[in-house]
Amino acid sequence: MSRFFATGSDSESEESSSADEITPKKRIVCCPLRFRFEEFTNIIKTIRNAMKIRDMSKCLEEFEQLYRAFLKSKTIMDKEGVPQFYIRLLADLEDYLNQLWEDKEGKKKMNKNNAKALSTLRQKIRKYNKDFETEIASYKEVLNCSPNDEESESEDDEESEDWGSDSVDSGGESEDNEGAAASLAVVFLKKYVCFNLELLSVFLFDGFKRKRHKKMEQVDEEADEEGEGEEGGWEKVKGGVPLVKEKPKMFAKGTEINNAVVIKKLNEILQARGKKGTDRSAQIELLHALAGISNENNLGEGILVKIKFNIIASLYDYNTNLAAFMKAEMWKKCLECIDELLDILFENSNIFIGENIAEDSENLAISDQPFRVRGCILTLVERMDEEFTKIMQNTDPHSQEYVDNLKDEGRVCGIIDRLLQYLESKGSTEEVCRVYLRRIMHTYYKFDYKAHRRSLGLQGETKSEQDQEESEGEDSAIIMDRLCKFIYAKDRTDRIRTCAILCHIYHHALHSRWYQARDLMLMSHLQDNIQHADPPVQILYNRTMVQLGICAFRQGMIKDAHNALLDIQSSGRAKELLGQGLLMRNMQERNAEQEKIEKRRQVPFHMHINLELLECVYLVSAMLLEIPYMAAHEFDARRRMISKQFHHQLRVGERQPLLGPPESMREHVVAASKAMKMGDWKTCHSFIINEKMNSKVWDLFPETQRVREMLVRKIQEESLRTYLFTYSSVYDSLSMETLSEMFELELPTVHSIISKMIINEELMASLDQPTQTVVMHRTEPTSLQNMTLQLAEKLGGLVENNERVFDLKQGVYGGYFNRDQKGGYQQRQNYQRGGYRNQNQSSY
Amino acid sequence: MGSLKDSAVSGSNPLDSPVKQIQIDGLVVLKIIKHYQEEGQGSEVVQGVLLGLVVEDRLEITNCFPFPQHTEDDVDFDEVQYQMEMMRSLRHVNIDHLHVGWYQSTYYGSFVSRALLDSQFSYQHAIEESVVLIYDPIKTAQGSLCLKAYRLTPKLMEICKEKDFSPETLKKACVGYEHMLEEVPIVIKNSHLINVLLLDLQEKSMVADKHELLNLSSSNHLEKSLQLLMDRVDGMSQEIVKYNSYCRNLSKQQQQKQQYLQRRQQENTQRQSRGEPPLPEEDINKMFKPPQAPPRMDTLLIAGQVNNYCQNIKAFTSQNLGKLFMAEALQGHSS
Repeated sequence: MSRFFATGSDSESEESSSADEITPKKRIVCCPLRFRFEEFTNIIKTIRNAMKIRDMSKCLEEFEQLYRAFLKSKTIMDKEGVPQFYIRLLADLEDYLNQLWEDKEGKKKMNKNNAKALSTLRQKIRKYNKDFETEIASYKEVLNCSPNDEESESEDDEESEDWGSDSVDSGGESEDNEGAAASLAVVFLKKYVCFNLELLSVFLFDGFKRKRHKKMEQVDEEADEEGEGEEGGWEKVKGGVPLVKEKPKMFAKGTEINNAVVIKKLNEILQARGKKGTDRSAQIELLHALAGISNENNLGEGILVKIKFNIIASLYDYNTNLAAFMKAEMWKKCLECIDELLDILFENSNIFIGENIAEDSENLAISDQPFRVRGCILTLVERMDEEFTKIMQNTDPHSQEYVDNLKDEGRVCGIIDRLLQYLESKGSTEEVCRVYLRRIMHTYYKFDYKAHRRSLGLQGETKSEQDQEESEGEDSAIIMDRLCKFIYAKDRTDRIRTCAILCHIYHHALHSRWYQARDLMLMSHLQDNIQHADPPVQILYNRTMVQLGICAFRQGMIKDAHNALLDIQSSGRAKELLGQGLLMRNMQERNAEQEKIEKRRQVPFHMHINLELLECVYLVSAMLLEIPYMAAHEFDARRRMISKQFHHQLRVGERQPLLGPPESMREHVVAASKAMKMGDWKTCHSFIINEKMNSKVWDLFPETQRVREMLVRKIQEESLRTYLFTYSSVYDSLSMETLSEMFELELPTVHSIISKMIINEELMASLDQPTQTVVMHRTEPTSLQNMTLQLAEKLGGLVENNERVFDLKQGVYGGYFNRDQKGGYQQRQNYQRGGYRNQNQSSY
Repeated sequence: MGSLKDSAVSGSNPLDSPVKQIQIDGLVVLKIIKHYQEEGQGSEVVQGVLLGLVVEDRLEITNCFPFPQHTEDDVDFDEVQYQMEMMRSLRHVNIDHLHVGWYQSTYYGSFVSRALLDSQFSYQHAIEESVVLIYDPIKTAQGSLCLKAYRLTPKLMEICKEKDFSPETLKKACVGYEHMLEEVPIVIKNSHLINVLLLDLQEKSMVADKHELLNLSSSNHLEKSLQLLMDRVDGMSQEIVKYNSYCRNLSKQQQQKQQYLQRRQQENTQRQSRGEPPLPEEDINKMFKPPQAPPRMDTLLIAGQVNNYCQNIKAFTSQNLGKLFMAEALQGHSS
């Protein structure tokens, strides 16, 4: 292989061939080659520079030059094979471009020229790289061997590239290439050593029980060997390069490892935290290694706890971006770490941790005194919980992945439970409150099927063993009650209490304890001041109100259900208000920043409230209220709508040119309303409760059958009322028996409904007991009379308005407001012109 | 049909109007009635062109033809073209072809509208003598032919010419809803032959044919009228509220302007006393743009329409009351 086209990092193969090849004679022949080669390297350098500053147009330009240069030297390439640095550039460039391409935000910020150049370049390189597929693939394979992340890769590439060209250059000079190669080897050696140091630390962590210094020697030897060995060894170097600066962090050979040294080291590592150039994953590795070392040397739990704290913290640090979520492996690691930490804390009751313990008052060494460690386990767990939410938010809810992730919730809950136990014994009340809230947050939205079964008395013997075990656990209602009451009593921050109350109400409502839920809601007075709370609490409040409404509906309290759901449904933004998705909006109303914030507030999918169910419950309750009301106030000019949304749906239904059988839930409700308007309860019933609606809505309730029965009953009653309102003018008298047959209600019910209507003066009629009939009175005004009344009212308004204009003309503002209620504008008539009025007054 | 001379003379006798009387051929009346019968139903309105000539201060309408009904998607239909064509054809058969106005059917007496005002204005602007005939099919169906001729008053013509409907100009012109339209008396004239035929028919016709007149049911008609009236009253209310808010804005601004001027003056006097030059004059109208005045024409039209409805209802109710008394008397007599 020609040394000119060998990889930069090649050194040994070079030695073998270069001695005979580089002779003055040959050099003349080589000159065009070298010339080409230099051209290449120059172009590649500029491309790399352009890549760094994201100058795409420059990149494109240079790439085209490179391409031309490559074509020119095609013949040589064919002979010698494509140089590796060329391949590397191609591969890197492609990766880089893809990365840029993915980065939508960055692309937006680019100016037009750059963006255009980017897309052209991307297409070109894609096409072009097809010719070198195999080479690039092999290069990438080699790259993947190195453990570091991409960022450092590009850096090392840069550097090793430089050495490569250096070595070649120097080699080209003359005979001293040997020496140069040697010096190169030295450079590599150094790096190699430190790379191995890292490896070593991993080994240590894994529990290798070898003496450190021995290993060091061994490694050195290996390094020497490999330094002279084949190319394969050299790739590893890349991984080690950035660690050059971290080298002093590890212990020197033969240092006695004791507490002070480890702490010092720890502090050193921590100092790099948050700095720009720090490799975060390497830091995690280092900390792990350190934990291993301290464990191995029996430095005591104090220091271990301290290190663990820092590991978890740096795990959280791994993502600089607040929106990004943890990778699965990191997440697992994090869970493990926290579990271990809790293990240690449980085993050693003599460790005190707290965030208010000052750094210098820490006691990490083994001594008679208890350990004192700075750090807050609660914060870590809270952060973990947030990370979990973030992971759930960022997973596609309809994938298997989501289910897998959701399985972790058990572990999360487990950790929270353990922490709860720990803090109950050690923590302050505030901390206990916080951890209780976490526990509540993981409990409140889950329906307790066991308790439900138990309350139904369905404790069948056929249950499996596992079920038995499960049912031994406490009822979630009791847990909620205990935790919440503690918070109510002890909490001093308003927010935790508010959240706890809301969760408590939600839980009550979910389990159909309507009166408890309602009383708690009324007692808390949250409705008055919830608008001052922060958005997540408001979302929780909305969720609670919705749950409350649905609960009321299940209990058959239609009016309460309607009132509870009115606010959420009338805005038409239920999805947004419940934090279950963003509404499509244009950018003027919401910029990218706000959108990000809103995305972070979303409730994970497994906690969602079914929006269709919500809407259906709302519409059905609106129907049950509105239809009789509409029938009763047909001619009333001042009639108000109870539910705007319901009317809207009705209107949408009316606008349809062709009415087919109902498909969607809304269409079903509209069709049912129409039937109810005619007092036809059977049709109404068949529209509300049928296969489609069952599968869409009603089956989602835990007590489906009961709800359905309640609904049928309500439909019958309200249909009866509607029928009476609508058709009372047609009848002179009506037998209650007929009515009870028509609506399949018992006679007493019919009797009570009609009596109520008569008492409320809704129905002008009287009951004739002996014959069981309703006798209608003809006292309603006719439509003409109604109309006249309306007209009179309107005219009154007109006169009033007119007078206002008149007052303005007169400049007497008081005139209108001061005039007494009765006599209104008749008095006004005297009020025309000064002279006229005076005349009038004098005549009085 | 017995009323050959429908002398519904309105109170105001126009002096300066070029037309003092309208004489209509029986043919025209029948043609209009037929037109509505064939094409108009419900609240739909039919329109047509009147032809005739002016004799001294009398406008004689001798023929007419309807505008064809056409829908929106009939884009290439040209009304003017059609009229010209029609008139040319009529001229060929030696019929009066002078354009003297137009007719329109009405639904429960609602015709005072912006559209009518605009088209009558353009007619009167082009041909000074033109009139609009308003035909009420509902009343006619009840047994009394209702056909009325209207012209815009010269005052209104002037205002329309200016196209300025601001409150000030209307006030200056002293135009109330009463002075918008003037009614011109109508005389129906038939040839002697037709008169003979009519007399003959009168002999033959029985009383039963006329019982429409004695129909006692009234609520339907009244309801409809009330509904329409209510609608207009609502419109009126809205207009008044609009005007009211305009007035308020105006006065508020006046106040602000006054305050500003006062402040300015004070400052200037202070500056003068200090020997400094006074502040430069600024365009005060630019700073205080007067609010847009709402056009008052709509209000006038609504008022006119309301007046019209009221009169209709009044006439109808008084007639009906009479009928009711009559019926009572008859009942008492027979029992």
